[in-house]
Amino acid sequence: MNPLCTPRDHTFSRRAFLGGGLGLLTSPLFAEAMKQRDKQVLFVWLDGGMSQLETWDPKPNTEFGGPFRSIPTSVPGVHFCELMPKLAKQMHKLCVVRSMCTKDNAHSSGVDRIQRGDPKNRGVPYPHFGAGVAKLLGPGSSGLPPYVWIKPGSGGFRAEDAGFLGPKYGSLAFGDGKPPDNLLRHPDISAEQDAARNELRQMLDQRFAKQREKRVVEANASVFDMADKLMARADIFDTSKLPERDRERYGRHDFGQHMLVARQMLEAGVRFVKVTSYGWDTHGDNFNAHAGMVPKFDQAFSAMLEDLEASGLLKTTLVICLSEFGRTPRINGHVGRDHWPEAWSIAMAGHGVKHGMVVGETNDRGTEVKAQPHDIGAAFHTWYRALGIDPMKTEFDNAGQPLPIAHDDMLPIKEALA
Amino acid sequence: MKLEPKQLTEFPSERQITAARFNHEGSILAAAGYEPAVRRWQFDGKTLTPLPSLSGFHGYSTALAFHPQQPQLFCADSWGQLRCCEGEKTIWQHETAHDGWLRQIAVSPDGKRIATCGKDHFIRVWDATSGKKLAEHDADEDVYALTMSDSITFGDMRGRIETWDLDLKKKQRTFDAAVLYKLDRIQDLGGLRVLRFIDDGKTLLAAGTTPQNGATPQSIPTILFFDTASGKLTKTVTHGTNKEGYIHDLAQHPSGCLMAVSSGTPGSGMLFLLNPADKEPFHVNTKMANCHSLALHPGGKHFVVTSTNRDSNGNGKSLGKDGQYKTNTSPLHLFEV
Repeated sequence: MNPLCTPRDHTFSRRAFLGGGLGLLTSPLFAEAMKQRDKQVLFVWLDGGMSQLETWDPKPNTEFGGPFRSIPTSVPGVHFCELMPKLAKQMHKLCVVRSMCTKDNAHSSGVDRIQRGDPKNRGVPYPHFGAGVAKLLGPGSSGLPPYVWIKPGSGGFRAEDAGFLGPKYGSLAFGDGKPPDNLLRHPDISAEQDAARNELRQMLDQRFAKQREKRVVEANASVFDMADKLMARADIFDTSKLPERDRERYGRHDFGQHMLVARQMLEAGVRFVKVTSYGWDTHGDNFNAHAGMVPKFDQAFSAMLEDLEASGLLKTTLVICLSEFGRTPRINGHVGRDHWPEAWSIAMAGHGVKHGMVVGETNDRGTEVKAQPHDIGAAFHTWYRALGIDPMKTEFDNAGQPLPIAHDDMLPIKEALA
Repeated sequence: MKLEPKQLTEFPSERQITAARFNHEGSILAAAGYEPAVRRWQFDGKTLTPLPSLSGFHGYSTALAFHPQQPQLFCADSWGQLRCCEGEKTIWQHETAHDGWLRQIAVSPDGKRIATCGKDHFIRVWDATSGKKLAEHDADEDVYALTMSDSITFGDMRGRIETWDLDLKKKQRTFDAAVLYKLDRIQDLGGLRVLRFIDDGKTLLAAGTTPQNGATPQSIPTILFFDTASGKLTKTVTHGTNKEGYIHDLAQHPSGCLMAVSSGTPGSGMLFLLNPADKEPFHVNTKMANCHSLALHPGGKHFVVTSTNRDSNGNGKSLGKDGQYKTNTSPLHLFEV
């Protein structure tokens, strides 16, 4: 028997938790387990722009408010659009910021500006939030790849997400939530043969490293490490053994099933899990589009919140949901809403943020943020703070040049922080 | 017979209009749109003169239909209200005729019954005089369009069209318009917008669009012709490119020709006239942007098309000359045939 513990021994299983009964929540053992558990992030990216008016910040019965009604949530006085009935029941777990006001209304530049926190231009590409977290917090005790991305379509390694941090901190994308092709060792190759091959590779790597930049070599080696860890935990991609009820609760659509894989990744201890849903760019037929898509989002996102809370993971996981921007109040001739960075919403839950909280307010027509607007840099400050990283004291190292981890003129959204 | 419509004039409207209809005498034009009210105008053959709007709706007013022989106007909103009015007077009203978005209203040819459909999956039949609910049917899907003959024909988001005798609770016919539906990623693209019977009920038209992709839909205006007796698709007419989008409204002129309006990518829009026997329209007008409704005047000498101002789209904050955030409007184009 191997006397050494495995990464899995350090993770806290939802199934084990549920098997232990709810009484475990109050036990000192549980509290200790949660204290020791690594902080994690679930980052739900709705590519394009989800309409704030059809979701988090409804303006029913107004000129730009659209056809839908608003519904009360579990927090008195807070209303969501009727398309999110499940999340309305979980508002007490959420922190919704309705005062986002960002700079870019174009996809081509906006995606990067939002995901990199739109810092001051230092002439180098900043890392995506996931890469920043991977760098600052590392893979954690699970040893699994620290920044994974579950997305529709193809997978692969995206070094560019890491910006100046170097390719080692790029995202590892799993297309359709599936493992990379040929993940498992070929059955004709024994463990001994595999170990011998790796030894040879490492030797060759050392020779290669002498003539190359350190961070490139590190990235190269880290890919093999990632593969090794994933080979040991190929089970995290498999949702087929989950109860049918779980698969139904998240929804049979691809976003629901991808969120289910994300839950498994979080349970296994992956530091940062990004889940992307494409198609949130409703320049035409906006109301019918949201009538179809938002309930699917509502279903999967609320199931995730329920499960993270049930397993205790919500105590250690920062959950973030956002888009590139919101959507225009005015409705174009194609019954669409266009890009709107001026006054939109993001939602958060879990570790480090307040629960049952709405921060900020838009005016009655949804065309302006009342009082204090918040740019994405402020959100980055907030998220890092929520994870216990002080952006005023922590810096990235860009080949010897210290750079702030979030926009140096901005501050966290204090009202949102626990 | 090939008609040549000529635009007489254009009237402004402060809000966007999605549905417009004349009353049976042709003296009143009523319009629903992006406001909790129904706008009305007096029509004297040349001019549209605003009348007081009908207020007290919620969300957006979404659907309207006049009684074919009497002055009653049936109108609805996106929160489920259904109302019968005579002039400004409410005859009867149901605040929640449907749970949410009431999409369309149809009146039976004799004017005795009306039918409604909604996002709540239901089709409901009402006594036109009293407002009493006569029948209902759960279609198990968001119902986008309906029309009435002796029975009720409705079509859902997925392009499933059925004719039902709701009194007997019996399905009579099914029509396959699945070509008007597409699932793109997690977006359901339902292309059906209009159902109409022509040829004394022998032909059913299903009009809308053939969707190609989601998000910013690229899609081609489409009319499907079904043989009512057999349910078989007999002809498909598509017109325009995939930026032309949806046929939002369609009427049959007393001469027999079909008149349709479309709206797609902002700035694009068409009025086209088509002989039902042909595959190509004989008249196309692309001067109006994003047309959403066509109100045919009784007798067919006039009709009104509601379009959208040309610069209706744009990312970010567009300010008008007054420094205020710009809103869009729907010019009303009066045509003479």
